[in-house]
Amino acid sequence: MTDYNAMADGDFRKMLCDWLVESYPDELRFPAERMHWDQCGDWYLTLAKKGWLAPGWPAEHGGMGLDANKLLILMEEFEGYGVGRTPDQGMTMIGPLLIQYGTEEQRQHYLPKILNGENIWCQGYSEPGAGSDLASLRTAAVRDGDEYVVNGHKIWTTLAMDANMIFTLVRTNKEGKKQQGITFLLIPLDTPGITVRGIDNLGMHDEFAEVFFDDVRVPVANVVGKENDGWTIAKALLGHERIFIGSPKMASLAMNRLKALAESAGMFEDPLFVERYTVLKLEIEDLSAAYMRFVEVLKRGGKIGAEVSMLKIWNTETQQRITDLMLDVAGENCGVSDAIPAGDTAVSAPGEFIGARPTTIYGGSNEIQRNILAKAVLKLPS
Amino acid sequence: MEDISLQSRIDVLSEEQVMIQDSAVAFIAQDEELKKVRESRFTQPGYDAQTWAEMAEAGWLGFLVPEEYDGIGLSFSDLSLVLIQLGKGLVPAPFSATAVLAARTIVKSDNESFKKARLPALISGEWKPAIAWQEARATLDVKAEKVTCADGKLNGQKLFVPDAGGADAFIVSAASSEGTVLYMIEKDASGLSIEYAQRVDGGFYATLTFDNVVAGEEVASAAVAEQALASALDEARVAASAELLGVMTRALEITVDYLTQRVQFDKPIGSFQSLQHKAVDLFVLSEISRSVLLQTTALFDGDASDKERAIAASQLKSRCGDAALQITKDAIQLHGGIGYTDECNIGLYLKKAMYLSSLWGNPTAHRGRYASLVL
Ligand SMILES: Cc1cc2nc3c(=O)[nH]c(=O)nc-3n(C[C@H](O)[C@H](O)[C@H](O)COP(=O)(O)OP(=O)(O)OC[C@H]3O[C@@H](n4cnc5c(N)ncnc54)[C@H](O)[C@@H]3O)c2cc1C
Repeated sequence: MTDYNAMADGDFRKMLCDWLVESYPDELRFPAERMHWDQCGDWYLTLAKKGWLAPGWPAEHGGMGLDANKLLILMEEFEGYGVGRTPDQGMTMIGPLLIQYGTEEQRQHYLPKILNGENIWCQGYSEPGAGSDLASLRTAAVRDGDEYVVNGHKIWTTLAMDANMIFTLVRTNKEGKKQQGITFLLIPLDTPGITVRGIDNLGMHDEFAEVFFDDVRVPVANVVGKENDGWTIAKALLGHERIFIGSPKMASLAMNRLKALAESAGMFEDPLFVERYTVLKLEIEDLSAAYMRFVEVLKRGGKIGAEVSMLKIWNTETQQRITDLMLDVAGENCGVSDAIPAGDTAVSAPGEFIGARPTTIYGGSNEIQRNILAKAVLKLPS
Repeated sequence: MEDISLQSRIDVLSEEQVMIQDSAVAFIAQDEELKKVRESRFTQPGYDAQTWAEMAEAGWLGFLVPEEYDGIGLSFSDLSLVLIQLGKGLVPAPFSATAVLAARTIVKSDNESFKKARLPALISGEWKPAIAWQEARATLDVKAEKVTCADGKLNGQKLFVPDAGGADAFIVSAASSEGTVLYMIEKDASGLSIEYAQRVDGGFYATLTFDNVVAGEEVASAAVAEQALASALDEARVAASAELLGVMTRALEITVDYLTQRVQFDKPIGSFQSLQHKAVDLFVLSEISRSVLLQTTALFDGDASDKERAIAASQLKSRCGDAALQITKDAIQLHGGIGYTDECNIGLYLKKAMYLSSLWGNPTAHRGRYASLVL
């Protein structure tokens, strides 16, 4: 087992870069949309075989065990090369969650299946009536012997159509505070009674879905943590999600595309453009500094709290401003598939612009992040 | 849907204007749910023939055409009342492109017999010309260079021709030995190839490629062609801006309504102060835009010089383009997840704003022209 953390940064970078050139499919570089499994499944399995699917997991669980610094380098190299996102909720969410809160049995059962591509996970929290106010969720799980009977309706479930497992929050108790009757439950999507309906997003791409549960029977053993204790666990996971959304990765991916687009349009001749570009470039550089500061906390074994929200706000809003500038550069090109040849790829400015909309909505909207910072960090009165 | 603009509070409309506005309001109310708008997305020509016929019947196609050519000869202030509603209803018919840009280019041209023959047909809805002038991205320059006319043949390429699918003919600017000239080219002219690209809003842009196409009738000679085109384009920019105002105000109306309906944390989300402030900021932006529109249409109704009109058109188009994008983006944010679906109508407003704000020069291009003319 290679100790990547012991490698010199430059060597590590070169190793990644060489391997990407050799292994990453050219046609998937800088994909305009989230890739479906039929496009990126092979790549997922290639990563899995190489052992690089879960860079942040501890090595004992099959991850690369990277420290914060190496993790950032890996992200940089991947995004610089235009590597698209795979259905990664197994690696980024449920994996780390099970490592922390799962039973030994659950870890042994689920983690290898994430790493070998057998289980593709999706996240079933949101409901039509429970978005920002997630704790008001109503999908109910009623105990019947060794099973729960689940009825309800999840929505906005990203790539549910490609997944075979869903981790959900369900209501197991209607009494008392609404946060207290919620349970974290793992459900195989092929269980009878489940219907998945794809929803077209604004880019007219079926990236998310609704999932209907009609008398779905789920073994009690699929609970993570304790019954009615799901909220605490989910909150911990949201922390994970937020640092992930806070990483400069998405914004710098957008920046790379802006650069390619602007180069092809000869925009770097224009001092006005250069100024606008530089403002955005520095927003990302400065975000990296903040991100590294948070990552250092994790490295020291510390915990990150509500303050991590600041990264998400900065990152996603920067990303949106980058795509504003892309749209500006594209001029009249506002086509559905206006991919303007840019360097050795093609960039669709309208696609990027539309695709950046939900970053400030999902993972806790930016309004909610601001509420969190105001209350939990600034301690402003309510 | 209730009008939330300041019109009824602080503006005055003439009786005739009230009638014009009411008929436009009734017109778009026919498709309040935007079902027809959705049906025509991504299908050629991008709008239905009946809509066009109804607009002709209402007399709207002749608003800006003098009476001697069967037009009505009304003002920009009057026309903008219709255009705002067309924007609110996301009506996909190429009103600004045909009834403003094409009609006004012809009106300002110097071929009398062409005007006499064609303008009545345009106004009655029988004949739809599309203007092909643009040769590069993000340019406002109307001088033809890449499409040439020599020995009576056109060669070269025109870009971003909106709504070519429903057009019967093109009026094409071409560089001749005397300078820029406008020619009419029938759609089925031999040597003309038309390539369509879907726009985000569901309409189409066309690229026209001329390969030894025999020049048709001369619509405008080199003496007037560039001026006619430039001046008509500025009028079209005012028209597009009025549509943008409609797009942004309806998007805001829908959003304010949603903020009132949607409940989270046991309260309508519109009760959260951060969202109230956001909605107010967007409202202010829309009323600033409306103020500039009113000022600009008044200026266009007067006897301002071409330069003054160009400055005003650029001021207006940059404001309305930016404001419509800002408002529709935030409208999506305020809708949350549902706002990011194709099913929800609010996204259609964003996409229309994307199209119209880039049409005939985006805000950056117009600020550039404004600076070069004013500073
Ligand atoms: C592309 C995309 C992918 C997603 N993927 C998943 C997924 O895989 N799994 C999953 O479970 N969910 C997913 N979601 C759902 C996402 O988490 C929710 O959309 C989000 O939590 C917002 O909830 P909502 O859509 O119900 O909006 P609402 O909560 O109704 O919010 C509407 C507006 O009100 C604002 N608002 C709400 N409450 C307050 C308040 N107290 N103060 C100020 N403003 C407030 C919001 O910020 C927003 O602007 C996804 C969403 C998107 C857009």
